[in-house]
Amino acid sequence: MKLGISYRMRFRYSEPVTECQNEVRVRPRDDDYQRVLSYRLTSQPQLQVLSVVDYWGTVVEHLGIRTPHTELELLAEATVETATRSGPAEAAAGPALDDAGFRLEHLEFLEPSQHVDWHPGDAVEQRAAAAVTGAASVPDMVSAVLADVRGALSYEQGATDIGISLTELLGGGAGVCQDFAHLALGMLRSVGVPARYVSGYLFAADETSANAETAELVTVQTHAWIEVALPGSGWWALDPTNGGPVGERHVVIGCGRDYGDVPPVRGAFMGSGTAEVDAEVVIGRHVEGPPAVAASAPGRQVAAAPAPPAPNWRNQQSQQQQQQ
Amino acid sequence: MVDPVPETRSGLLDRYQPVGAFDEAFDDDGSVRDTYSRIVERFRELDVDEIKRLEKLVADEFRRQGITFTVYSEDEGTERIWPMDLFPRLIAAAEWEELARGLSQRVAAMNCFLADLYNGGGQAIADGVLPRWLVMSSQGFERNAMGIAVPHSAHCNVAGIDVVRDADGRYRVLEDNLRSPSGISYVVENRAAMAKACSWLFYDHAVQPTEQYGQMLRSTLESMAPGGEDDPHIVVLTPGIFNSAYFEHAFLARSMGVELVEGRDLVVDGHSVYTRTIEGLVKVDVIYRRIDDDFLDPVAFRPDSTLGVPGLLSALRAGTVAVCNALGNGVVDDKGVYPYVPELIRYYLGSEPIIDNVTTYMMWDPDQRREALDRLDELVAKPVGESGGYGVLIGPHATEQQLDEARATIEAEPRDWIVQELVQLSTLPSVADDRLEPRHLDLRPFVLTGERTQVFPGGLTRVAMRRGSLIVNSSQGGGSKDTWVLAPEAP
Repeated sequence: MKLGISYRMRFRYSEPVTECQNEVRVRPRDDDYQRVLSYRLTSQPQLQVLSVVDYWGTVVEHLGIRTPHTELELLAEATVETATRSGPAEAAAGPALDDAGFRLEHLEFLEPSQHVDWHPGDAVEQRAAAAVTGAASVPDMVSAVLADVRGALSYEQGATDIGISLTELLGGGAGVCQDFAHLALGMLRSVGVPARYVSGYLFAADETSANAETAELVTVQTHAWIEVALPGSGWWALDPTNGGPVGERHVVIGCGRDYGDVPPVRGAFMGSGTAEVDAEVVIGRHVEGPPAVAASAPGRQVAAAPAPPAPNWRNQQSQQQQQQ
Repeated sequence: MVDPVPETRSGLLDRYQPVGAFDEAFDDDGSVRDTYSRIVERFRELDVDEIKRLEKLVADEFRRQGITFTVYSEDEGTERIWPMDLFPRLIAAAEWEELARGLSQRVAAMNCFLADLYNGGGQAIADGVLPRWLVMSSQGFERNAMGIAVPHSAHCNVAGIDVVRDADGRYRVLEDNLRSPSGISYVVENRAAMAKACSWLFYDHAVQPTEQYGQMLRSTLESMAPGGEDDPHIVVLTPGIFNSAYFEHAFLARSMGVELVEGRDLVVDGHSVYTRTIEGLVKVDVIYRRIDDDFLDPVAFRPDSTLGVPGLLSALRAGTVAVCNALGNGVVDDKGVYPYVPELIRYYLGSEPIIDNVTTYMMWDPDQRREALDRLDELVAKPVGESGGYGVLIGPHATEQQLDEARATIEAEPRDWIVQELVQLSTLPSVADDRLEPRHLDLRPFVLTGERTQVFPGGLTRVAMRRGSLIVNSSQGGGSKDTWVLAPEAP
């Protein structure tokens, strides 16, 4: 499937901002299932972009601005050709997960991480252990965990903020795609299945429904799903938010241990005001001609950041290791 | 008028009794070792009043110069006058030469490892010299350091290697510090105070100078400038005045003749770093930073950092600035990696380690763990991620309850601990009330690496101030000694 994607990020400040530095991870990657036919990142005002590939293999673009501004707009436009994926080649049995070599190879995706903060014996692990009881193979374990995640969480915009712990998430019982992915990752890792976080785009009007009727052009947010490593057959991609497989309507940006390794945008600004960040993804089947951007589509506000609490700078100064 | 001469001088060293460790000044028979013969003679001529007078001179000098250190308790820091013991440590020329060769070798191997890990595809890991999981699970392994170009592969420009002498007097490495080793300012200030208060002590000895440190550091940092810039702009980046080593940061900037800056004085524009000055922005080529990796750039690392420079990582990735020491050195400071350093020396340099490690048990190895936990009352347990003596359990000084707690903690998180044989640190005479008594000590020499490697003569001798104590860290109440590397004897 040939898809046209445009991702527009608007930063609006209540007071002029003198400096602002950003890292964005929005470029689709090239891999076995997708090919990037075109990509460009532009900004208003115009900025110099430094593009590098990070540790996880994701393209990260650094942009900074040092002139006073009250608005900054970034626009990433990509055309991507995607392919369908087949399911797991063979249904490895559970004990294959215990192979020392397999575990060492996937160590980073077996351990807890910043946003996938399960601990041995906690509610996440207990829930996972119960869910996989009786599963005959690793793919069965994975399916059982994903079904359990969809039972534990209901989809609700704005129910959570980034930084929520898995325990809090389970307590609240609601979240968005990152939360579904993080909980699934925690449960899978806790029962020994290597699992990683995938950031990307989904061509669907409703990310909670795998088979949703798709319009020509949809205005959505970035999406998140997961991949699990199966002994003997490599990575298998799944979408915990809708319970379905990952197919040609999914476009991968990159993967990592959790959201923190592949956030679409991260930045810091200097100024006394507050920031509002609007972001929207317009995605549709690619047609030759003008880019498929719905210029008038209303942006959805994803974060209205109040002024952050004043950090304890005196403590930070004294925390710095001076190896004494 | 003449001071009355006391009828009998109470000799400060008359009742000097070694404490079952290697004494650097006296051999087992109680005779003075050659290196110390003249110093001991001088101290035999002193009496208590004279020692007290000299101690006051030194303390007054430190107070006047503002040479202090900070002890943290709760959230507040307390400044104290820097403690220096009057009896100096002497290292003979040949002994120093051997030690310096060993230190160069060790730092070279660790630099090879860092270059391999972050820019060389991890050959040592692929060849099984040390396990991949150990590196991946290290708190100090910095994924953002991957692929950042480092001139001369010199990831560690300033290393402080803690060495001790065991019961046989052999030097051994206790701990590596490749992030922000501190203490060099005290080395220089100790010498200045000593020369002022006790100039007569130097008359009998040819002592290698210490006041050139600023020059050495400056030339090391200059060689790190991206693109081989001729007259690079260097700054010292400090967390600020509330940091325990702020005194040292100011000292280093002053002795190099460069600016001392905080994060807010720097700005990134077009993927280069600048200082804000009244004449506008001036490009920075080299940053000698004394803040942790996590705080360097709030965009890439901790978003709540107020100490860093937004966009600094982008400048590093663009190759427009050098950050010294490089990002990610903490992986070598991880005490879990320490046991592998001798193997790294053999692997990268093809030579045998000149200075051995202290015998170390890796707690993630079930056999080593069992053996070490059985004998924990004779051994020392250390958390892998700490420095400065924090969290260390000394078996023979611990209660049964403390030992049991430590065993349980180690069993629960074996990756977080190493256990070492207890080293009876060597001793030297040190002033204790009205006499000189043996006190345990270690040594932190500093190794500078840029285009070439230099070992600064001597280093910081840290001394435990209480009888029998093995804790020498200034953050834990230790003191210091002026450290003299003697010039080679004229033939």
